[in-house]
Amino acid sequence: MIPVSIRAVLIASLSTFAAAERATPAAEAPASRGAIPDFAPDTGTSWALDQTVDDLLPPPSGAGPITFDPAHPYIANFRGAQPTYRVADLSNPILQPWAREQMRKSNAEVLAGKVPFRARERCWPIGVPGFVIYSLIESFYFYQTPEKVTIINPGGPEVRHIYLNVPHSADPRPSWYGESVGRYEGGDTLVIDTIGITDKTFVDNYRTPHTTKLHVVERLKLVEGGKTVLISMTVDDPGAFTMPWSATQRWRRVARGPIAESPCNENNTDHFKHELIPTPTADKPDF
Amino acid sequence: MNNLRIYARAGSAVAFLLGITAVSGLAYGQTPDISGVYWATEYHPKIQLVGGGDLPLTAAGKAAYEKNIAGLKDGSITDTARKFCVPDGLPRVLATPYPFDIIQAPPGQVTIVHELNHQVRVVAMDKPMPSEKELIPFPFYNGHSVGHFEGDTLVVESAGFNEKTFIDATGAPHTDEMRTLERIRKISPTQLEDVITIHDPEYYSRDWQARFVYTLRNDVRLEDYVCGEPHRDLSTVAGVHRP
Repeated sequence: MIPVSIRAVLIASLSTFAAAERATPAAEAPASRGAIPDFAPDTGTSWALDQTVDDLLPPPSGAGPITFDPAHPYIANFRGAQPTYRVADLSNPILQPWAREQMRKSNAEVLAGKVPFRARERCWPIGVPGFVIYSLIESFYFYQTPEKVTIINPGGPEVRHIYLNVPHSADPRPSWYGESVGRYEGGDTLVIDTIGITDKTFVDNYRTPHTTKLHVVERLKLVEGGKTVLISMTVDDPGAFTMPWSATQRWRRVARGPIAESPCNENNTDHFKHELIPTPTADKPDF
Repeated sequence: MNNLRIYARAGSAVAFLLGITAVSGLAYGQTPDISGVYWATEYHPKIQLVGGGDLPLTAAGKAAYEKNIAGLKDGSITDTARKFCVPDGLPRVLATPYPFDIIQAPPGQVTIVHELNHQVRVVAMDKPMPSEKELIPFPFYNGHSVGHFEGDTLVVESAGFNEKTFIDATGAPHTDEMRTLERIRKISPTQLEDVITIHDPEYYSRDWQARFVYTLRNDVRLEDYVCGEPHRDLSTVAGVHRP
């Protein structure tokens, strides 16, 4: 059983990487179906991080997301060099003092050799806005209906529900992905407005904290003839940040076939005794 | 995996497919709309057979069931669907007391998103089932599914399961050679029926069926589900007992 399982994982990993290099020809499908951007023209289309780094990227100008401390450069996997863990740049002026202090402790732990938390590795929901950088490996799938957009990354799997053309609830109970409402704009853009996000998530993979006052507006624009989703976002949290800030990312269209099953929480224990955050586990059955 | 086993599985699968063919051939019209959020009103830890009675276990099936029951009791076997929230597998996922969302998109696919364990089922429409040689290297908890409409009924065939799941919460067993056939249809404007046929000759002496009925609940939004946390109120679902 075990050798077969390992072989299957290896095959799956290899085919994922092979597929990652096979970009979809632009002529295969139009960028939009009717007046809305079509993020899922067929069952095989999904969207992978265009950069080989799962970070929120700075905007062209103005206040931006946390990046790495220049004294401790972050090197992601698959870069041909020894990867490092993230040490956050605490000089970023967006941080309120308590958030900076919390991150200083987290940085110190990493520099002392602790393996830092990353939602994708420990099978926890990443929340918003982190969702758009959830996985370097698995790509994002869209399921669009007139009332709703569902976006799924099979790596958890992690599922986001975006309700179209409806207002926010008066006071949504905080949840992992919050309450997302959305609308299409200009025939090429999905605008997602999210509130009610639990403070149990981080904003990014630098372990940047936030409060339940977090408000995120994401704009997912289909560009380059339907080959790329350009993501821009504004992030505001008067409980954690000194000012609203912006970030970007890009997803590129890939043809990897329909979404496949790869549950994160399968045999995902702390094999090497790194004192990792435990994966979500139920001490007693839910029902 | 030896070739003899593959051929034996293929033969069994062909016989099962012949059974499917016998009920197909109805008119194809516009694709019926079965989309929406559905939620069961009752839950049974032990699977209820159509026509009643006990599971038609073979001797090997009976031994496997007894081993599962004893293992679940003494802790040597873990119910990973409840402890680690990995997918429930078929047919257990059909007994879910949580809502789920049937999305008829993208074109050529029916996608079923479950709140429970955030599991996602994909039904490839009007596509042939992949061959045994394609399925064996990639066993899935919920199997690989292909489907088509026969009139107003979505017919879903599934194969390529792993052996990590149970038939139900009592630990009823299946092998990785199990094949299932679901007939899913609206039986009223607000009710969806899923009748599943289980074909697993190593553990069951005959094919058998179970039936699940769900209520359309487009007023309900699926919630995030994280293992070990308190989840939504299930008091509207008869038969749910939380420990």
